[in-house]
Amino acid sequence: MLCMYRNASPLWLDMAALIRGLRAGRALRGLGGVAVQGTLSPQCSNVRRGFHRAALLRLASDSKSDTSVPPPSYREVHTAGESSSSSAQGESSEDAQPNTSFQDQSGEHGEDYETEEQLQARILTAALEFVSQHGWTVEAIAAGAETLGLSSASTGMFNNGAGDLVLHFVAQCNAQLAETLAEQNNQVQLGQAESKKTGEFLKDAVETRLRMLVPYIDTWPQAMSILLLPHNIPDSLKHLSTMVDDIWYYAGDRSTDVNWYTRRAALTGIYNTTELVMVQDSSPDFEETWAFLDNRIKDVVNMANTAKQVQATGEAVVQGLMGAAITLKNLTGMNQRR
Amino acid sequence: MQRAAKCALRLDISRAFCPSNVRNCRAVNRVNGSVSCRRYSVLPPPRDEEEKAMLDSMLRVDHAGEYGANRIYAGQMAVLGRTQTGPLIQHMWDQEKMHLERFNEILGEHRVRPTLLLPLWNIAGFALGACTALLGKEGAMACTVAVEESISEHYNSQIRTLMEADPERYTELLQLIKEFRDDEIEHHDTGLEHDAESVPGYLLLKTAIQAGCKAAIYISQRI
Repeated sequence: MLCMYRNASPLWLDMAALIRGLRAGRALRGLGGVAVQGTLSPQCSNVRRGFHRAALLRLASDSKSDTSVPPPSYREVHTAGESSSSSAQGESSEDAQPNTSFQDQSGEHGEDYETEEQLQARILTAALEFVSQHGWTVEAIAAGAETLGLSSASTGMFNNGAGDLVLHFVAQCNAQLAETLAEQNNQVQLGQAESKKTGEFLKDAVETRLRMLVPYIDTWPQAMSILLLPHNIPDSLKHLSTMVDDIWYYAGDRSTDVNWYTRRAALTGIYNTTELVMVQDSSPDFEETWAFLDNRIKDVVNMANTAKQVQATGEAVVQGLMGAAITLKNLTGMNQRR
Repeated sequence: MQRAAKCALRLDISRAFCPSNVRNCRAVNRVNGSVSCRRYSVLPPPRDEEEKAMLDSMLRVDHAGEYGANRIYAGQMAVLGRTQTGPLIQHMWDQEKMHLERFNEILGEHRVRPTLLLPLWNIAGFALGACTALLGKEGAMACTVAVEESISEHYNSQIRTLMEADPERYTELLQLIKEFRDDEIEHHDTGLEHDAESVPGYLLLKTAIQAGCKAAIYISQRI
């Protein structure tokens, strides 16, 4: 539909038409059709490219924002990164008819200015859908950028390339896990759910987190190796430690001694080994992985109980020895006051 | 920002401290479902990573300090427990236990990592307490004076930092630290009253112990 207008009209009509078309595309996308956007873009890519140059909108913004786009003549060029990558993007944030877009000519710098970080997050989230196709690579990011209507050159924003994609995914999963745990905790505190025993809680939390890998399990070994690259290690360790801290916190750990460290170390070990088992597990619904996890958790719980018992026994033995020593002293008369 | 009302429901304030402070977390905005109510909480909800890091390290070192002080008194009691100074040391030890308990609560509530060197401070503190107590009552008092002086100086510098930053934001924390500092100064004065200065080599001992305390404080802030 858009392309009908293309050959016939002068530039500004062109842009208005593009806005309309992109809004339509956006609305369709809102219905969940990423594929639709995909089909629109090849047809209108020429228009879009021309548009990129005129771009000047930093609007970029958010799908949430309904603020209208000021007419082209009022837009200014903003930082290169924002402008080129967010150009076509910004257009598609409209919902109103073309007439009303020229009415609101107030602030171009509303609070819905999307930061570069937010934009990067959106691109990476979109890129996750292409991981099964391209693996954890820059191509996936490029494909993701294209679904958002940006040029594949926007991968230049990501200095770390595939590492950025993997770290983003890990952060996203951890955030989701923390939300789930907080919600469960809330339920327990409100009395709407039973609190679980520590071992069971840990098992459920680790299983929840690992299940988030299931859609990407075929390419996960590649992701793991990316996370082990030296320049990614600090970040991946930080994500891992935050996740483990979250799990233990919601499991009820409030220790302030060396147990803080031993518990987290144990859980890190459990999580990493279970992850490794999972990537080479071919049983239906990863049953073997969950069984492995169960056994490891049991081991840790047993060790903790044993340690407690040993300590209690040790204390009792010491008391016994002290008692025996005093008795001996009394018997031999060494304890008398002179 | 400061909601002083006590919440009836025991809501999870820890959500205010949710760990979305992972550096590269560009992903999801943490949805904080519950009301972040300041049930009697000593710390304000941290407004950014830097503040959380600063508060964390302050609490970490304070906790380590109280833990160490506890162990020192335990060492002293192990040697002098059955003598005349026993009850005095016990009284001071009980106050330190209270301080430690309070810090344990705060650390647990605000998800502050305790220092990794706690086992070291455990042994070192006990050894210091026991060794100085072997020098007699005066030795134990001298150790108390030295340690309490270090600790109150340290609390004072923390109070200064917080006051310079934002006294209203940290009112409760300041109150807590001031209270503890006053207790420590009381211990210091008690030590002086009980002939701390009459131990042979008092200055040497005091300097050595204070140097050790400074090193411990420096390390515990970081590790």
